[in-house]
This record gives sequence, C-alpha cells and structure tokens, in this order.
Amino acid sequence: MKKPIFKEFDGYNGIVEEIETSRKYGTDYAVYRDSVDKQINLLHPSRMKLHISEIIDETSSTKTLRLVSQDGYLPPFLAGQYIALFLELSGIRTSRPYTISSPPNQTGFYEITIRRVEDGLVSNYLLDEVKKGDGLESSGPAGQFYHNPLFHDRTMVCIAGGSGITPFRSMIREIVECGLERAIYIFYGNKNLNDAIFHDELRSLSDRFENINYLPVIEEPQEGYEGPTGFITGDLIREIIGEPAEKTFYLCGPQGMYDFCVPELERLGIPKRKIRKDVYGAPAHICDYPGWPEEIKADEVFAVKVDGGPTIEARAGEPLMLALEKKGMKISSLCRSGECSKCRVKILSGKVFQPAWVPVRKSDRQFGYVHSCVSFPVADLEILL
Amino acid sequence: MEKYDAVVIGAGNGGLTASAGLARKGLNVLLLERHNIPGGCATSFCRGRFEFEVALHQLSGMGTPEKPGPLRMSLASLGVLDDLEFVEMSDLFSVWMPDGFRLALKADKTRVISVLEEKFPHQKEAINRFFDLVYKYANEMLAAFFFKDPSPSREKYPALYKYAFKPANEVMDDIFSDPLLKNLLSVYWGYLGLPPNRLSFAYFAMLFFVYIEFKPFHIKGGSQALSNAITNKFLSNGGTARFNCGVKKIIVKNGAVQGVITEDGDHIETKYVISNASQVTTYTQLVDSEEVPDGVLREMGGRSLSPSAFTMFIGFDCEPGELGITETTNFLLDGIDATDRVLNPMRRVDISDETMVMSCYDVSDPDFSPPGTCQVNIVTLKYGEPWMRIPPTQYHRIKYRCAESMLRRIEAIFPDVRKHIEELEVATPLTHMRYLGHPNGAIYGFEQYTKDSMFFQPGRHSPIGGLYFASGWIGDCGFQPTLQAGMSAAKSVLRKLNSN
Ligand SMILES: Cc1cc2nc3c(=O)[nH]c(=O)nc-3n(C[C@H](O)[C@H](O)[C@H](O)COP(=O)(O)OP(=O)(O)OC[C@H]3O[C@@H](n4cnc5c(N)ncnc54)[C@H](O)[C@@H]3O)c2cc1C
Ligand code: FES
Repeated sequence: MKKPIFKEFDGYNGIVEEIETSRKYGTDYAVYRDSVDKQINLLHPSRMKLHISEIIDETSSTKTLRLVSQDGYLPPFLAGQYIALFLELSGIRTSRPYTISSPPNQTGFYEITIRRVEDGLVSNYLLDEVKKGDGLESSGPAGQFYHNPLFHDRTMVCIAGGSGITPFRSMIREIVECGLERAIYIFYGNKNLNDAIFHDELRSLSDRFENINYLPVIEEPQEGYEGPTGFITGDLIREIIGEPAEKTFYLCGPQGMYDFCVPELERLGIPKRKIRKDVYGAPAHICDYPGWPEEIKADEVFAVKVDGGPTIEARAGEPLMLALEKKGMKISSLCRSGECSKCRVKILSGKVFQPAWVPVRKSDRQFGYVHSCVSFPVADLEILL
Repeated sequence: MEKYDAVVIGAGNGGLTASAGLARKGLNVLLLERHNIPGGCATSFCRGRFEFEVALHQLSGMGTPEKPGPLRMSLASLGVLDDLEFVEMSDLFSVWMPDGFRLALKADKTRVISVLEEKFPHQKEAINRFFDLVYKYANEMLAAFFFKDPSPSREKYPALYKYAFKPANEVMDDIFSDPLLKNLLSVYWGYLGLPPNRLSFAYFAMLFFVYIEFKPFHIKGGSQALSNAITNKFLSNGGTARFNCGVKKIIVKNGAVQGVITEDGDHIETKYVISNASQVTTYTQLVDSEEVPDGVLREMGGRSLSPSAFTMFIGFDCEPGELGITETTNFLLDGIDATDRVLNPMRRVDISDETMVMSCYDVSDPDFSPPGTCQVNIVTLKYGEPWMRIPPTQYHRIKYRCAESMLRRIEAIFPDVRKHIEELEVATPLTHMRYLGHPNGAIYGFEQYTKDSMFFQPGRHSPIGGLYFASGWIGDCGFQPTLQAGMSAAKSVLRKLNSN
C-alpha cells in the first residue's frame, strides 16, 4: 500500500483532533516510575531486612525469635503463613521457611519458633549462634495454609505434630485476641510432654476460652501421665469433637503424621475438600519413601552437569537443590516443600525421584521440569537452571 | 561481559514468540524473566490437586488443521504445533441472568442466527443484517490489510471505510431496536475492556468473525502448555533463558541500545532489545530519563491504562454437570446495560452487579481437572487504582469481602457451588500487578480506543535505535494479538540486522 488508506476512513479527522486533546490533557507517566514496586513491596516484598529483638526459650530444644523490621515496616499476613530466611552459612547460600507463630494482629513484630533438627544446618545455627540484635534477611509472607472464610467451616479441627504447632498458635491467638467467631479443637502430638511447645499458653487459653479446646497427645508418656497417649486416632478425634460435619480439618507436622492421620480422617467419612495439609519440607528419609528405587542407597553419588557448564556431585539422599547450593550455585527458593515452584529446573537427561504428590504443572512434567527442593538424583543428570 | 545478538525482556506471550522467532533464525538470544516461570498472563498455578488456568478463556484465530487460522499458521512457523494439543469449544458463549434468562450460542454462524431469531422473532431482519455486516467488514479488512491489496479504495471496501472508526453502539443502535438483544451481542466488550460506546465496531466485528470462522479453542494443559512449548523451542534452537531474573536497566547511548543490566547487577551487551514489559515501565524505569527522546512521554500521556481484573479460581469435587454448568464460556449478567454505566462498577472496589465471565474448561475438555472434579475461572474487570488506595492491613479482609459477593452471584445461578468447593484462590488487581509488573495491574495494556489503535501509535517501534516492543501495550490485547506481536517484533529486528 503506497499511502495509508486509513486516513480516508470516515471519522479520521475527528480522531486526529481527539489525539491532540488527549495528549494536551494527558497523564504524566513519569510519576509511575517505581509505582509497581512500591505498591507490591507493601504486601509482597521479595526481600525484607529484619533484626532479632528478643530470643525466648520455649522448650529445651526450641526457641522463639522475635523479629522486627529494620525499616519499621512489616507487611500483613494470614495466620498460618510463613517467611523464608535467606542465610549464608559456612559459605553456603541457602534458605529455610519458618511459619510466623505470632498472630497477624501483632503488627510490631513477627515471631518464628525454631526447633532443633538433628544435624540441621540452619536450625542449629539459629538456636546456638544468633544473638539479640543480629540482622536476618527474609522473604515476604507466603503460603497457602490459612483459614479461608469463603469455604472453610467456622469450627476448625487442627492436628499438629512437633513444630507443626506454629501456624495454629498464630491462628488461636488471632481468634482470641480479635474475638473472631470461630472455634478450634487442637490435637497436639509429641513424644514427651516436655517437647510440647506453647503448652502452658495453649492450656491456659483453652481454660479461659470456650471456643479453644487444646488436647496434647503424648506418644511416650511418663508413668502416671493422665491424658490421651499414643497417636492421634480417628476415634480420639471423634470422641472429642462429636459430629464431624461442618468442621474443617487442618494438619501440620511431619510426613509420618499425615500418612497416619489422613486415613484416620477419611475413615470418619470426612471428604477430601475438608482436609487441609500444610507443607512441611522435603521428606526426611527419602529412601524409605514409597516408589523409591530400592537398589539406590542414600550415599550414592551422581554427577550433575549444570547449564552445560560445570559438573557437580550430588547425593541420592539429598534434595538436588541442596547439592546445588553447597556448590555455590544460585537457585531461587521459597517453600522448600515442593509447593511454590520457585526452584523449578529442567532435567535435560538422567532421572530424579520426586514424590508423586508434588504439585508440578502438567506441561512442566511434559517438558521435564521438576521442583528441585523435593527432587533427588537417581542417575547422572544434565540440568538447566 | 556477556554478549548477545538480542535480549528479550519478559517471557509473556509477546516476549516468547519474539525470542523463539529470533532463535529460529540462528540469533544468539537471551530471554530474561522476573518470574520463575514463562507465560506472564499465559500461565497456571497449582493448589491441591488442581492446576488453575490464569488467563485464557477462548483462544482466537486457531482454526482447524484443514482450515488454519492466522494463529495456527504462526505457531506452525515456530514449530510448536506438534508439542501441543488444542481443544475446540463448540459453544461461542452463554448468557445467564438472575431472572432466569438464558441464551446459549454455538460457534456456528447459521446456528447463532437461528437461535437469536427464535428468541427475538421481531428482530429477524436486523439479526441477519448485523451478521452480514460483521462478515462484510471482516472480509474487507482482511483483503485490504492481511492480504495487502496493492490498490485499495472506498469503492472496493465500502464497509471498511465507513465502519472502521465508528463506535460499536452507533452501529448497533442503527440496526437493532431491542435493547436486550443489542446488549447480548455486546458482551464481548469484557474481552476488550471498554463499553461498546467507547470501542470501535471493528473490534466486535473481528471478534465475532474470528471466533465463528476459526472457532474458540482451549489448550490441553492450559495456556502454560503453550508458554512452555514456545520456551522449549527457543531453548532447543540455542536460546538462553533466565528466570527469576528481572531487568533493571536498558543502557542507551547516543540514541541507541547498548545493553541491559539485570537485577543481579550483570551487564549484558546487545544492540537489540525487545521489551515485553509495558512502555510505561520501559520508558520511565528501564531507560534513563535523559535518554528518552522528546515526545515519547507526551505521546504516551494521551493514552490511559486499561482495567485490571478481579478473578476467582475454584476447584470443585464434582463434575460440572452436577453443578448445572453445561457450557464452557458463561457470561453472568445482572442487567442489560452496556453503556458508560458499566464503568462505575469497574471503578469501585466492591462487587455487586458487574458483568462476569465464568469459564469451565472441563465442559469441553474432561481431562482438564482430575477425574471427578472440575474448575472454573470467574473474572470481572476492575481498575487497579482504587485497590492501590487500600491500606495493606485491610487488604485481605476486603479481598475476601469482594470474593464473597462474587460467590453469591454465582450461587444465584448455580445454587450448589459452595457445597463442592475444594480449592479457591482469589486474584485482585494487586495480584495481577505483582505477577505482570504492569502499572495499575492493567491486563489489557493501554485502553483500546480507536485513537490508540495501531494506525495512530508507534506500535512496536521506538525512536531509540535497537529498541522494539512486543506486548499487549502496542495495540491490541489478547492471546492471538500478543503472540503475533512477538513474531512481528522478531521480524523487525531481523530486517534491521539484514539491512545493516
Ligand atoms: C484474568 C485474565 C483473563 C484473560 N482472558 C483472555 C482470553 O480469554 N483470551 C485472550 O485472548 N486474552 C485474555 N487475556 C489477555 C491476555 O492474557 C494478554 O493480553 C496477553 O497474555 C498479554 O501478553 P503480553 O505479551 O503482553 O505479556 P504479559 O502477559 O503482559 O507479560 C509480561 C511479562 O514481562 C515480565 N516483565 C515485566 N517487567 C520485566 C522486567 N523489568 N524484567 C524482566 N521481565 C519483566 C513479566 O513478569 C511478564 O511475564 C486475559 C488476561 C487476564 C489477566
Ligand atoms: S522452593 Fe518451593 S517448590 Fe521448591
């Protein structure tokens, strides 16, 4: 076309005038510079600079760190959500998610509650090394484990194991402190009563508030212990809560607890949609996991070629992500539990073991992507970060 | 310093086809995306056993292998068709109103006309006149522009010359007397972001034409499958992609691109940058203000930001039939207004009587969600600005309040939905802002006034040498236009390279 024909279309001149007018009275987009980042940082900052204002001893193996923001601003969160801490320890850049155990109505600080993990790199550091006043870097609040008022019931039945009490502590405190019209039954499993975090606080709230019902369940009780013992069974739940209808069930604890409790709940006839499970890290003993290739031992080492460049060694028993971090590779992470897909990598050749429940997008599976925080090498690999 | 033939900023539809188009021609291309996954709007996310589709409701321009549409041809040229499975939707759209009114149209011209004639016998002649005009306009438009007629004229293309710039409502008013019918045939304004009195008839004509002639489609695995397939082709053609890696600066010297700096501080040398980010971000944030040529901001200032969206994603523990959902694409209307008054609800935070689109992909693709379940995506347009004024501490409460109102609207028509909810996620204008990085969370780029259509604006070009745009911000929005915008940007770069 030689000359643009649209200049001959009906209405052309009117549009030219309109353009002039709109430019004359137009928007100054220069003021939009950074507007998106500023707005998003109020709710979902990717990084926050915090420091420790208080360290509170909870049990012999657990402490609570109270964190305040270095610039004075903390974004809101929903009770049950977590932050990831980003740290550099003995030359390894890594991260760990921790649930915010303080309630959302406490806007001056976040608390995270850390329980010792045997040989744990970060938990031991946070329990033994950090001091009041130290700085920490974290993500913004994240995670899908919270009460959704649109379809969750007002009566919540919560089942916690070990440090899995943290989201429920936040929820309970919010309920009583904000006077929410919700009721909570909380079953809390531990080996010994001494391990039960927040035990005194929860018991006293349970005594004072009719809508809070706290029940510790002790696996290996000392002699003379009165109260429920063993595992948290369907029968026990049924006995305490009565009719399971119009109640939503929340679980937070180690994989072993889910493996036991979910079938128990299903036995009570509770539909899948009423059972919410929090993420709780990668399975600890992957070689015992259903479907793991028996012939491969945890200590077996595989070669992983990264981005066509350097080759590193990775153990079968350790998440691929950790092997990459140990070799100083930069890899994004957030939940470290398979849920958020932040750590997605492409497997060009070789094979990893990734538990079947990991929520990987269909087309990611088609094109060979895995979530590296819950993927374990079972062959030599070539990957693309 | 790393060096590339071209750098593409953003892996949305436009960025993906641009980078794949360049890599296919042997260029050494770096694709940088801030998010951890490609797609921009064209993505999905997982909750429980569901994978939710974020943005794609009805893919236009595909056509069948026997009668390929323009989009199918473009995707074929990128070599991605074999990696994808497309699902044809038999329905065009359905309309539901709380008073029990229902209209279900199939994506077939004769059947659309006969259903409408049956419901509106007194408008029989008008209905035929309308669709004749739609087809006449579309065919003239294609002959003149798509097939590039060397000697077009008003005599040859009377409908094009007369209607291209005419507001849609004026055309409708001339043809129809029944206000209900007029508004039913305008519901697609929701895909464009402006009411029919502010949009040109051209948009409606082309939408009806492409959806009826080339059928609406969906993709197995959702729009993420498309994004992944294009990324995969790009990688296998030697492209380099970095996710979780935003661009902080485009380095411009003496009016030409020199390179980019990433958020991690890496300097990358290149003479060509294709930006999938908005012009607003590109010119006010990425390029230093002293390097932005005179007139760019003034030109942009004449345009306005499109709305964002409030979207709800619901996974149900039953099949669609059990809820009474029988069609894939459902417009829920609470009145028959399609004038400027529809802008009022878009400008407020709360939800009451707005028009909503509810897509249930499982109706046309039973494999979309796990067996025995289904999902819906319900969206209504909302300007981002009022949401930006909400104090952060109030955000969650207000988000759930709005979602509750939206859920009630759905319950009014499908009463059993709440009993079957297994997963439910809400995205507000601020969510869209977060994941797309666009000012005010705009999902349709700049508003699609005729004065801002490609005829009158710089489109993919920039006065900065080596800088191009590929996105919904350069003209038309939607999957088909943005995918094709990326192909065009790649062609522009290739042409420029060859001429040097
Ligand atoms: C809820 C919803 C429903 C929709 N329904 C439909 C429909 O049914 N049919 C249809 O055709 N269209 C629909 N659309 C519109 C369609 O999805 C969009 O028009 C299209 O996907 C836009 O593509 P784009 O190329 O402009 O890129 P976008 O999707 O806008 O993506 C831009 C990308 O650039 C990245 N980016 C931005 N800044 C930077 C930076 N500085 N550095 C690195 N990366 C950066 C972003 O992270 C993002 O990935 C819908 C959209 C939404 C949100
Ligand atoms: S870090 Fe969230 S899925 Fe791996």
